[in-house]
Amino acid sequence: MADSEQDNTDRGDGDNLKSDKLFTLKKWNAVAMWSWDVECDTCAICRVQVMDACLRCQAESKKDFYGRQDCVVVWGECNHSFHYCCMSLWVKQNNRCPLCQQEWSIQRMGK
Amino acid sequence: MSLKPKKVDFRQTWNVLQETVKGVITLADVPRSTWNDRFSDVYSLCVANPEPFADRLYNETKCFLENHVKQLLTKVQAQGETGLLQAYHRAWTEYSQGINYVHRLYLYLNQQHIKKQKLSEAEMIYGTSSTASPGFEEQMEIGELGLDIWKNKMIAPLRTSLVTLLLEGIYADRVGEAQSASTDVIRGVIQSFVRVEEYKMKGQLDMYQEMFEAPFLEASGNFYSREASELLQQSDVTRYMERVTWRLSQEELRAHKFLHISSVPKVRQCCEEKMVAAHVAWLHSEADLMIENERRRDLSLLYPLSRPLPSGLTPLVLKLTQHITHQGLQAIGPLQGENIHTQFVESMLDVHSKYSELIKEVFKGDQAFIGALDKACSAVVNHRPAPRQPARAPELLAKYCDSLLKKSAKGASESEIEEKLARSITVFKYVDDKDVFQKFYARMLAKRLIHQQSQSMDAEEAMIDRLKQACGYEFTNKLHRMFTDMSVSADLNAKFTTILRERKEENKLGIGFVVYVLQAGAWPLGLPPSPGPFHVPQQLEKSVQAFESFYHAQFSGRKLTWLHHLCQGELKFNYLKKPYLVTVQTYQMALLLLFEHCDAISCRDAAISLRLSHEQLVKHAASLVDCKILKKSVEGELEEETVLTLNFEYYNKRTKFRVTGALQRDAPHDAEATHRSVDDDRKLYLQAAIVRIMKSRKLLRHNQLVQEVLGQSKVTFAPSIGMIKKCIEALIDKQYIERTPNSADEYSYVA
Repeated sequence: MADSEQDNTDRGDGDNLKSDKLFTLKKWNAVAMWSWDVECDTCAICRVQVMDACLRCQAESKKDFYGRQDCVVVWGECNHSFHYCCMSLWVKQNNRCPLCQQEWSIQRMGK
Repeated sequence: MSLKPKKVDFRQTWNVLQETVKGVITLADVPRSTWNDRFSDVYSLCVANPEPFADRLYNETKCFLENHVKQLLTKVQAQGETGLLQAYHRAWTEYSQGINYVHRLYLYLNQQHIKKQKLSEAEMIYGTSSTASPGFEEQMEIGELGLDIWKNKMIAPLRTSLVTLLLEGIYADRVGEAQSASTDVIRGVIQSFVRVEEYKMKGQLDMYQEMFEAPFLEASGNFYSREASELLQQSDVTRYMERVTWRLSQEELRAHKFLHISSVPKVRQCCEEKMVAAHVAWLHSEADLMIENERRRDLSLLYPLSRPLPSGLTPLVLKLTQHITHQGLQAIGPLQGENIHTQFVESMLDVHSKYSELIKEVFKGDQAFIGALDKACSAVVNHRPAPRQPARAPELLAKYCDSLLKKSAKGASESEIEEKLARSITVFKYVDDKDVFQKFYARMLAKRLIHQQSQSMDAEEAMIDRLKQACGYEFTNKLHRMFTDMSVSADLNAKFTTILRERKEENKLGIGFVVYVLQAGAWPLGLPPSPGPFHVPQQLEKSVQAFESFYHAQFSGRKLTWLHHLCQGELKFNYLKKPYLVTVQTYQMALLLLFEHCDAISCRDAAISLRLSHEQLVKHAASLVDCKILKKSVEGELEEETVLTLNFEYYNKRTKFRVTGALQRDAPHDAEATHRSVDDDRKLYLQAAIVRIMKSRKLLRHNQLVQEVLGQSKVTFAPSIGMIKKCIEALIDKQYIERTPNSADEYSYVA
């Protein structure tokens, strides 16, 4: 295995040359799936999968079905994650993470 | 001439007046000046000094008119039976006109003397007050008086003979023996019955109805019955209905010709009763055959006849439902072969359009029949071949759409395909299990999108929009999201290429790299079934890394999972006589690339170096062996020990081809899995519905709850009662709801 790796990196670009290799890789149509990088895939506030829009957005989303970027995920310092919409309503009442009761502060937002 | 009241000699004035009245009422020539003088005489009599003669004038006039009518009566009677109608009509024409003039001559009396005594409208409606003493005879305006006298002195004595003659006259007209002259006479006579009471404020038609209309309807009824029974004996049903239709229209015309307008509907009703309603059972039994043989002419005769009857159409509607159901089942029954989905949808559409056209033409698009068509179609579409099997429609319909939207749809123009897709919505609306359809459709859409098999993205989008229109946003949400991912991916790829170019790294990847990034949750795709991470060939690693770092720079908080079982690569084979371009799956590609470094490899070793399970390796290797790119050391199934080698003698006519992946092959397994996953989804849907309902109602009986659940889920599928019960049980177990202690079949919501 190690040998072949060496081999490949040396002449990775063999596209248009007459190659002495058995195969030339021309094209790769890859398929990948993205999901939020979360530990728990359900939002603890609305009990909907974080990949789906939160309940409130689902109910209102009649108008935008193309870009559902607006119902994103937010991670707290405690590493717990929720729908941003759900969390922003939650912190108005109680500025703590609903799962661990730590003071809530945003670590990062999904985009 | 003075208007001042003066002394008048009644006798003398009346004698003059009487002569003129006689002239007026017989329509003799009365000079204008005489008319004017008599008009003033009426005035002077009414205002005479010292005592007005109004009452006396009234009584004398009444007396005169009575005598006049009596004379007319004798004249009319003198004509005998044969000329009675004509004579009466002549006398009436003259008298009715004459009395009208006399009425005007007595204008002053009418206006000043009689109007004052008259009851006001309010008194008429609410009953008279006590002012009218028993012996008091109410005075009428002269015109009315004249008509009243005519009624009592002329019509009353002639009544029986008049009515008999009229009925005879009309009968003659019916059988076509009437002289045209008598039409006017008959009409005039009948009108006179109406006219003599027209001045009344209520019950204007009482006399007409009682004296003429009732016997007329009875006589007509007898006539219709007789004709109906004669027809029944002589002719078949078609002829019978033609005759009845003709008779109905004739009678309507005749009623308009002779009778008061209020009688027209009564005549029609009477005719319908005797000729249609009386034989409706027979007609309906004949109708069964008409529908079975689709005798359009007969049906279009029968429809207007039976429509007015209460529930006259019900048996027809029922029979038509049965018939269409039967025809539909026959049309889709014998389907078999490769394109069963096309046959199914198109025969269904044929049945639908055939009968909707029939209903439009024969039944004038009557709602009841359209309902029958809907009912029948939905029975056919949702027909289960066997009680435990699911209906085939959802799957077949989805396949049909798939076959149209796929690139391979050959020969059909874009607009044809569009039209077919639009028409397929008709079938879709009848499908009960729309959720099953959605599952199948989503899977097929996913395949089309990922493998770039879509004929046109516009057509795809239009179809999704149609489904959305039929079923709502919720239904197509995921389809939309899938669709969106495609365009988002295209943008991503463009950006990725630009960035590579900016960094002058475009050739660094060494391959043409295109990626679809799909959002989890929207796609009906499983994750790659791998025991450990698949070992990506080195040739691809750069691409993977470069793209991942690009992606993470673009977005945050996302992770990417590569779906290798859906990826495809194009390989150029350099080791054969001519170069081949072969499209294979990533796993197959990886397997082939192993041969760069060895001539032969055992299945076990290949699986280990690719980090695949034996089953997976076998699955992908087998398709390469099957198309002879690889050779195996021993015949039979691929075992762990089987050694694979490249086939250096490989030959194919085409230099560019695709190795059919394992993905496309497990179709039957797919269908079953789809039905299973639909079942799971339904349970969740029902439970959610039950909780929603109970949350708003707090307390509900079992039956009501079931009804409400049925109502909510109707749009997407028709759940079985058993399934609803199970879901209720499940929710009781989960303590969302509980049985109320005092009643066995009532539930309450547990907050």
